[in-house]
Amino acid sequence: MSSLNQLTLTQAVDGIKSKKFSASELVQDCFDRIKKLEPHLNAFISLDKTTALAKAQKIDFDKPLAGIPIAVKDNFCIKGIKTTASSNLLKNYTAQYTATVVSKLEDAGAIIIGKNNMDAWAHGSSTETSDFGPSKNPWNFDYLPGGSSGGSAAAIAADEAIAAIGTETAGSIRQPSAWCGVVGLKPTYGRVSRYGIIAMASSMDCPGPITKTVDDAALILSLISGHDIHDATSLPQKSLNLNLSKKDLKGLKIGLPKAYLPDNIHPAVKDLILQAAQTLKSLGAQIIDLDVLDPQLSVAAYTVLQRSEVSSNLGRYTGIRYGGPRSEFGDEAVRRIMLGTHTLSSGYYDAYYLQAQKVRTLIINDFEHQFNQVDAIIGPTSPTTALPVGSSKGESMFGEMADLLVEPSTLAGLPGISLPCGFVDGLPVGLQIITPQLREDLALNIAHLFESNTDFHLQKPKL
Amino acid sequence: MKITPIIGIEVHIELQTKSKMFCSCSASHFQVEPNTHTCPVCLGLPGALPVPNQTACDYCIKLGLALGCSINRETFFERKNYFYPDLPKSYQITQLQQPFCIHGQVILDGHTIRINRAHMEEDTGKSVHQHLNGVDATLLDYNRSGVPLVEIVSEPDILSPEMAKDYLLKIQQIVRYIGVSDADIEKGSMRCEPTVNLKIETDNQTFYTPLVEIKNIASLTGVQNAIQFEIDRQTEAFTQTHEVKSAANKTTRGWDAVKNQTFLQRQKEGSADYRYFPEPDIPPIVLTDEHIENLKNSIPELPDQKIARYQRDFGLNNYDAGLLASDINFAAGFDTAVGQHPSPQMAKFVANLFLGAIKTYLNESQTQLDIAQINPDFFNNLFQSVTNSQISATVAKQVIVDSLKTGQDPVAIATSKGLIQVSDSEEIKKLAQAVIDQNPKAVQDYKKNPASIGFLIGQLMKASQGSANPQIAKETLEKLLQ
Repeated sequence: MSSLNQLTLTQAVDGIKSKKFSASELVQDCFDRIKKLEPHLNAFISLDKTTALAKAQKIDFDKPLAGIPIAVKDNFCIKGIKTTASSNLLKNYTAQYTATVVSKLEDAGAIIIGKNNMDAWAHGSSTETSDFGPSKNPWNFDYLPGGSSGGSAAAIAADEAIAAIGTETAGSIRQPSAWCGVVGLKPTYGRVSRYGIIAMASSMDCPGPITKTVDDAALILSLISGHDIHDATSLPQKSLNLNLSKKDLKGLKIGLPKAYLPDNIHPAVKDLILQAAQTLKSLGAQIIDLDVLDPQLSVAAYTVLQRSEVSSNLGRYTGIRYGGPRSEFGDEAVRRIMLGTHTLSSGYYDAYYLQAQKVRTLIINDFEHQFNQVDAIIGPTSPTTALPVGSSKGESMFGEMADLLVEPSTLAGLPGISLPCGFVDGLPVGLQIITPQLREDLALNIAHLFESNTDFHLQKPKL
Repeated sequence: MKITPIIGIEVHIELQTKSKMFCSCSASHFQVEPNTHTCPVCLGLPGALPVPNQTACDYCIKLGLALGCSINRETFFERKNYFYPDLPKSYQITQLQQPFCIHGQVILDGHTIRINRAHMEEDTGKSVHQHLNGVDATLLDYNRSGVPLVEIVSEPDILSPEMAKDYLLKIQQIVRYIGVSDADIEKGSMRCEPTVNLKIETDNQTFYTPLVEIKNIASLTGVQNAIQFEIDRQTEAFTQTHEVKSAANKTTRGWDAVKNQTFLQRQKEGSADYRYFPEPDIPPIVLTDEHIENLKNSIPELPDQKIARYQRDFGLNNYDAGLLASDINFAAGFDTAVGQHPSPQMAKFVANLFLGAIKTYLNESQTQLDIAQINPDFFNNLFQSVTNSQISATVAKQVIVDSLKTGQDPVAIATSKGLIQVSDSEEIKKLAQAVIDQNPKAVQDYKKNPASIGFLIGQLMKASQGSANPQIAKETLEKLLQ
């Protein structure tokens, strides 16, 4: 048997419940892995081994995640635990309350083992803007893991934890998952509570799982989703039935937008996506070429809206509370605050913020139109594989280019999943599947069938 | 030179909901130990999210309806971004583009003051400036942070300091009638910020002086005095500088109640840029006609309506009707006391009791009228007794207060105290004969001057311990002395 830390979530749950091994053994094994790899990966900002092992001693076997070691991104508040969002400004900030998602995971029996590195304030797609140093890609330490949930994706790819929780505003779950060869699910906006997550762009922020398999992502989503009285934007919803029981894709129409395979895409990435489309076709789906709005429009609209909201959300860090003075904001945060302040200021609001909201409506309408023709849309999660460490330096639009293909669905609040669909030069490539709002079940079923008929998810970096 | 003051007022009403605007903390903060009613939301902690208080929104809409406003069916909250130490998120959640309530009015003696809007927002925390441990310190109390506020913005239709006072009293009265706040200016649950300038007509030319917003006013008298001071100050400033209003010269002045003058606080360089944008943490609110109708139906009869009804149905004069309607509890007591469909005579009788004996008693004892103690039958009995001369008007005043204190029938009280007027002619005849026998000098006086009968009547009343019907006493004496 492979070592315990390599288990998927569902395997680990079964193993503990059937007492093949103990929660303590599993937690210890993850910490052994962390100890070995962290000097190379820097996927964690903080770890709490003592508490985790103590919790592993007394678990409730009836709970769905009994004794499972889970890592959460450092923008989730956990009472009594340092919560920095990888920023110097919050390096001494201890959260006073616990995020709803974390409470739900703990209520389900999960053990939070530590908090993952990220782009500072979730501003980026590289984890290089972290004020505590970049995380590295487990497939090649000279490469970036993506971001902003880069630490989380790296930790799962390297088997440092059984599952992780990230957040995505546009791409921050899916893009690092693609670059690290793991599964990342961004739920419908409002499916999962944002309460207790340090806000980036409030109208788009969305927590979701980063896991080793599609099954695992479905299990986590079913446990963290639901209406929250503390989040007015969380949707009233029935409990999720995520039974991944589809046997084939017969009768399903899957769209492949031409615009999602742009000229500047890495040719090998394009080939893998076309191959993935063939796989889905062989499972019974009809693959349809789609004409969608140019994703560049989404980048423009997204950039304005996100910066605007960021400038307001970061206003509270005045230097009076939370420890650090404003001079501790990194360059990327300062750039975003300045741009967002400009786009909201009187005389410019109509030209930027309001215009961007109008474009957003057009994008939502376009997706509605597309979903009249197809059941799901696929494409590459990112136009490239992981880029070398240092690539984001001096590139203020780095994130927007890396997230070109996930920003449209983000603006429309749609769910999307990224899962491994091959490798280029030893680096993973992600396939994304986008479905209409609240149709995570469909995205997960398609992903699950694809995964069951391929073995990309079984490959591990040699560490 | 003709000078017309142009005054608009922003009124903030702190709603007395149980919990705050966007969290479940208690909304009470007056004389509460600092920072004890706080949570992640009202402290603006990272990751915390606002969830609107439905009751507060309903109160705002009710207030708007009571002010004659139209209600926007689709509204949303917005962020007003600015820095201040007691503003924990560095933005205030408020409404700009689509407030709950728009276009209302208040009518004062036939003069209409238009209301531009009444919108919902949250209060800030409080900065407390203190000398502490040898240094000047500013302490922050977040108990008030997130308390629901309604901001009522009038159009500049107010023409004098007195009208400003009347406007504020009217707003206060309406707020108290619908029960959404105690609207106490001294306690800060009602705050007033007038904006004042002058229209000056001279030599066939018209000028408008620069706008001045006055802050820190803590009483109604303060509002009047501050506005009067500004009128005088601006008049003088204009004669000296001839400066007129522009988009860039609006200033904010504070009110110093001790020195009785305003002082320059802030020179606005153009308008402050608050970078308003829709609050992404709160979905837009869609109000149904049914919901608004329900709120409308929950509004009690308002003072203006009451006054009109008292005049129309009971023939009361405007002044008395206004006094009765001034306080909702007092008016409710009156409405209960007169009962269903009273005659105008009965209503007038009860009104006199309320505006006389009862009001005096309440003022002297500093108590609130207890509506549960008001029994319309008692008032009716009393009215009948006075009408058929069993009880004098003077006795009625006395026993109604006793009745309120004890819960007993006032007529029964009068009976037990022997205050029922005697109209029995035989009984009075006996008393009259005795009085005549005992006062020969007064009888002689009467014979010379019939107008002096008052003394004999007085003696008879005394002998009857006040229970004789004075009219019958007079007639009897006159008869015996013929």
